[in-house]
Amino acid sequence: MVDSGKKAALEAIRSQLGGKVVSGTEFLQERELHDTCLPTHFPGLDEALGGGLPRGQLTEMIGSSVSSGSGLIMAELLALARRERRYVMLLDVGRGFTPWSFPDQDLEVLLWVGCDNAKMAIEALDVATRDENFSLFLVDLRDSEAADWKSVRSSQWYRILGQMRQRETATVLFAPSPVTAASKVRVEVAIPMPLASLNENRSELVKRGRFRRTHFSSGQKSDRRAYPLEALQAG
Amino acid sequence: MPRLPSSLSRPNHYAVVWCADFRLQAVLRRSNRGIPVALIDDSKRQSVVLCCNPVAEHAGVFAGIPTVQALARCPDLTIKEPSAAAETAAERLLLELALNWVPLIEETEQGMLTLDLSSQPEMHWNDSARSLLNRLDSAGLDVVVGMGETPSLARIAAQVAQERGIRLWHLAAKNRLELLNELPVSVAEISAGLVEKLHLWGVDTLGAFAGLRRETIASRLGEEGVELWLRLTGRLQRPLKPASLEQLFEEHYDFEYEVREREPVFFILHRFIERLTARLSGTGRAATAVHLLLSFSDGSCYGKRLPLPEPTLDEDVLFRVGSGHLETLELKSGISSVRLRLEPSDLIASQQTLFGAGLKNRHHYEETLKRLRQIAGSDRVGSPRPKDTHRPDQFELVPLSAEIDEPDQQAALMVEEEGLRYEVPGVKQIGVTFRRYARRVVAEVEFEDDVPRCLDSSRAKGTVTTAYGPWRNEGEWWDRGKAWNRVEWDLELKQQGLFRLVGKEGEWVVEGYYD
Repeated sequence: MVDSGKKAALEAIRSQLGGKVVSGTEFLQERELHDTCLPTHFPGLDEALGGGLPRGQLTEMIGSSVSSGSGLIMAELLALARRERRYVMLLDVGRGFTPWSFPDQDLEVLLWVGCDNAKMAIEALDVATRDENFSLFLVDLRDSEAADWKSVRSSQWYRILGQMRQRETATVLFAPSPVTAASKVRVEVAIPMPLASLNENRSELVKRGRFRRTHFSSGQKSDRRAYPLEALQAG
Repeated sequence: MPRLPSSLSRPNHYAVVWCADFRLQAVLRRSNRGIPVALIDDSKRQSVVLCCNPVAEHAGVFAGIPTVQALARCPDLTIKEPSAAAETAAERLLLELALNWVPLIEETEQGMLTLDLSSQPEMHWNDSARSLLNRLDSAGLDVVVGMGETPSLARIAAQVAQERGIRLWHLAAKNRLELLNELPVSVAEISAGLVEKLHLWGVDTLGAFAGLRRETIASRLGEEGVELWLRLTGRLQRPLKPASLEQLFEEHYDFEYEVREREPVFFILHRFIERLTARLSGTGRAATAVHLLLSFSDGSCYGKRLPLPEPTLDEDVLFRVGSGHLETLELKSGISSVRLRLEPSDLIASQQTLFGAGLKNRHHYEETLKRLRQIAGSDRVGSPRPKDTHRPDQFELVPLSAEIDEPDQQAALMVEEEGLRYEVPGVKQIGVTFRRYARRVVAEVEFEDDVPRCLDSSRAKGTVTTAYGPWRNEGEWWDRGKAWNRVEWDLELKQQGLFRLVGKEGEWVVEGYYD
């Protein structure tokens, strides 16, 4: 009787405060998750990522076609970093970044590096991941060719990974196809985007998105091998 | 009348650190302490003694006596000549160790410093003074410390300490007159005429003089008498002139042979930085710039001031700044000497607020920026901001802010409350993001009823299912040669995506895509 009364009172407080009250167990679980991941707070995306962007790991966001929604994910990650007051570095291959697409206050935490090609971006990432001031690195490879990033040596990727693990930072690669076997998590992004979405709320658009986690087969060792994207898309 | 806060109402207090016979002590330091030594001036026709140590004084030598006469009185007298280098080194040592006590110091005269003690609680004065005396003693300098309410009283206290052979004497404010009563007028460094006059009056102590009325002194002894009275009564205050610290933290090394490799120079630099940071940290300061000066075997010199983003004492950072710059230098001839100087500055209180956020390590950030600029180009690294214009593709890069403010939650809330149907300035959370193509993508467009129906380009090709537009935009028509004019269409291509089509300069271009 007393327990049910307590529960009811707790539920009432929770409903009034809009989920701001959490139990100790929930708090500890969330904290544990936070220590290993950076949750994006989008359930579908977090589920595909396994709780959030893994710290000390490379994550690939694959948008296999134009207007698949990778840019929206990037904008939401930037907004998240702004809310959590973290610095973000964007390594922009092709220099197609348009600041007007982003809130002014989100740009305050962004350091943009315009790169000519993927090789230059990875070289810059190699330098940048040694800096403890940044907690999130975004590498925009959407406009580069696969041949461009294939020229990056595996050893360089693994060196970057080592540096990221040391500082517990996260890197997200946005690309039209898989980039490297060094990535631990690869998520295929598909956000329905009709022209009317130009007037819709970004968060709502991302919530409507479909995110599917894809994996390398255990036998695949090199990122130079062709990636069976079509097979993944099929099933 | 409201009372002043205790920190403001606290009276000032000063200390004078005096190294008597400074020129001699600078030359001798630890050596020749037990034997008679005199410093002579050989520049005039007749060589005279400038100063001598107590052992020589005991043998009858004094300042101003001809050297020949001094040697006749004391055959064992060791003769020394002044050394400007030794005096400079001793001055720096004196100032540097005094900086360990308080930050505001005046170099009153050679071998004499006046310290403002107001930055330290009174209970620590004696301990700090003794610590300074011990450190100077171990460095080979015999000094005395006098403390008083004003610089003048502190100087008198130092004179008393020297005359009495004690190391520290405090002319405390609470019993100043009693203490002055014990002191002869001669310690106040006044003219012999005034001493004689006071003696005739029967005024033999400073306390007796301080007890006289000011008007009486002014009418009988004039300006010098009034000045002494003001000094003794603690009414002669003056601001201290802070000592220059610019060249204080400097190390220099001459190579025996010219050096053509950088490694030996790095080794020396590392050693210099270790020493200089230890010395600098003792003064409560940090380095705000590194000065690197190199001399080459062909007689040329190179000097560079390398500023730091914020004052630091991090040896690794300072070494990386110096060595990093040295690596970029082209060495045309061998290095013959290296000089390193740290520019001192007050440490910045950079503790963030409890929930504050910002750059964790500004030095590392500056290094990263430098390297990123080397990789990508100096005009391609920065925090982007749209320019205040309607013209698309205009943005500028600004330095990343060192502190991250709280996000403007109110603006975000407004959007949520008002239905999320329009864009609030500064909170562009509506619509998808746009990405521009790096290269110009020219398109052929078919129109039907003035609406694009079919598009053909290297990046996008197909039937237009939906089109928003036309959005006409123009600007800078008032500036000859800069006028621009464009028509934009937002297009959805069947099974391809969303694109922006732009008509300008007589052709259609696919500017980019929405993603």
